[in-house]
Amino acid sequence: MLQASVLERIAIAVASTSLALLLGAVIVAASGYDAVEFVSALVYGAVGTSSNIAFMLRQSTMLILAGVAVAIAFRAGVFNIGVQGQFIVGGFATALIILFLAPVLPAGAVGGVVLILLGTLAAVVAGGAYAALPGLMKAYAGANEVITTIMLNFIASGVVFFLVDGFLRPEGASAPNTEPFPSYVELPSVVFNSATFSIIGLAVALATVLVVYVVMARTRFGYDLVTTGHQESVAAYSGVEPKRTIVTTMTFSGVVAGLAGALFAIMILGYYSDPNTFPRFGFDAIAVSLLAANNPLGVVPAGLLFGGLDAGGQYIGFTLDMPPELVDGVVGLVVLFVAAPELFRMAGQRLGLGGEER
Amino acid sequence: MSVADYATRNRLTVGVAGIVAAVLLVGGAATLFEFPGDELLTVGAFQRTLQAAMPIALAAIGGLYAEKSGVFNIGLEGFMIFGALVGAAVPWLLTGGGSISQADLWVGIIAAILVCSVLAVAFAVLTVTYEANQIVAGLAVWFIGLGFGPFTATVIWGGVSSPTLPSIDNLTVPLLSSIPVLGRLLFDSSPLVLLTILLTIAAWVVLYRTRYGYWVQAAGENPSALDTAGVDVTRVRYATVVFSGAMAGLAGATLSIGIGNGFTGTGATLVDGRGWIAIVAYLFGNYNPIGTLLASLLFGAMDMLQIQLQTIGISLPGSITGLFPYVAVLVVLTFIGYTRVPAAVGEPYDTEE
Repeated sequence: MLQASVLERIAIAVASTSLALLLGAVIVAASGYDAVEFVSALVYGAVGTSSNIAFMLRQSTMLILAGVAVAIAFRAGVFNIGVQGQFIVGGFATALIILFLAPVLPAGAVGGVVLILLGTLAAVVAGGAYAALPGLMKAYAGANEVITTIMLNFIASGVVFFLVDGFLRPEGASAPNTEPFPSYVELPSVVFNSATFSIIGLAVALATVLVVYVVMARTRFGYDLVTTGHQESVAAYSGVEPKRTIVTTMTFSGVVAGLAGALFAIMILGYYSDPNTFPRFGFDAIAVSLLAANNPLGVVPAGLLFGGLDAGGQYIGFTLDMPPELVDGVVGLVVLFVAAPELFRMAGQRLGLGGEER
Repeated sequence: MSVADYATRNRLTVGVAGIVAAVLLVGGAATLFEFPGDELLTVGAFQRTLQAAMPIALAAIGGLYAEKSGVFNIGLEGFMIFGALVGAAVPWLLTGGGSISQADLWVGIIAAILVCSVLAVAFAVLTVTYEANQIVAGLAVWFIGLGFGPFTATVIWGGVSSPTLPSIDNLTVPLLSSIPVLGRLLFDSSPLVLLTILLTIAAWVVLYRTRYGYWVQAAGENPSALDTAGVDVTRVRYATVVFSGAMAGLAGATLSIGIGNGFTGTGATLVDGRGWIAIVAYLFGNYNPIGTLLASLLFGAMDMLQIQLQTIGISLPGSITGLFPYVAVLVVLTFIGYTRVPAAVGEPYDTEE
């Protein structure tokens, strides 16, 4: 896949998404639902009204950030399937900082900004540290990072749930939720009138994309990282310490995942809760990153597409009598088709659409 | 005997030593902290451990064959979700939700095996023929299971989980069941326990004592040599991948109707990471089916620890004890988990035609 040209990648992305959606529609029809209604509701749910657009952009913001986190690792040839766990731990660190420092700091806009910055810093540190763990295990013990990161996802949800449920739930509260953050700890929505989406959040995500892109394309660190991913022995000969690169790559990836967690806690929730009920941004982000061929810039359109799918899927869950899990399945199909570029190359050849003989 | 075989045997010794150490540790803790250790190590506890280990071991033995032949089937978790769903859905649909008989349940188990075999064929087409990245395709299988599993449940039952279903009855073998301890564990227990043990032994014999087993190993170690010898590598890999799907299907059905009472589609579904633990189980067992079964028992014991701790009056919240298997996986992978994977795993094999 790394050898494919940019045009080829875009073609593969479009083809695999269309094929997955088509299959999804067939499954909808086969389950006895109206496929046309499904597709039109999917589109309406994503871009039908301005509040739907705000919701879509909110999901896209999270998916872009989580997608960039995944892309950083994949680029370096490391599979970080643990973005969801790093996202959970990051958001939890944000919640802890905000809840514990709020009584100490002055209320009002200044206090709010300070709390947001400190909370975000905590998330970034926590996310990076949580990702460094599987990085160390891979580098120094040869532990497969796919499995360790997935285990750490389960552990993150379990431990954070235990802490929220056992220690942070207010007296007499029925749900395992923390106290809400003070009302001044929030991002102003500015453009859309939405309580859970702020254009500032989207701006943070896009700025992160740019920073990551510049780091990967223009710095020594980024160069080492990408060479290690392409050709580990070459990187080693040119003086790159592969073990250290694995750990720093994972940490860098976790830092971005942590940032996503902070944004989720501050912009979307405004408190913290049972992580088992959170959206699976960290997993959908794998699809986002793969669709973007692990290119940080490509993550933006891919994130918008999946944000749209997500928003449409949730709209379907609310309005039609169709289970929203269907959209999760379609996301899985996209991943499956993206994994097999050869399938499309061969299909293209057979149909006479070109596609070079390798 | 090759060097690899020797390492395999040593690994088995290490594994057994590990389990013995774990038992001794519990025993030691029992005397030191005045734990009622004898209440911890009961026949009932071993029985529950065996049952908890079953789905892990079944999926692991399938995954082991696929990886031995050069295909890392990282989608075991996803296949298990489908197996669990089909196992629960087929008996329910057969009887229209009426009274489900034992025969219906067995039909469900067979259906789970068949459906997952068919899905595994699709996985093999993508990974073996179309050279899809095995890790990414396996993750896709997981996502598809997480999405379409609960979706299908909703279509059938109107919710992501099934209603309570009956499970497979215990099998009591006359005479054999009166053997002390062993009789209760194997011959007065779920027939699936006995099946798991028989399958494990069969898998060991086939892998290490038959010509076909050597083909499987060669397909993962040196596919071009196997090709030169006139054996179709693609065919061997298809067979092992389909076998891994079938075993994961059986493992999933074991969870929903073998020992459980239906399909749960909330959260990470009732499979809840066991497919991933299965992968670690066969790595820990160094691709040896018997070592894999022992590793699965270790994880099964972790799974059951909560009940055991409760019976002796230590109550840890379920959310914490439920994490023991995952933590154990990390410890295993970090401290003892380094295994030599077959040389050609993950690499598609092209015949030069």
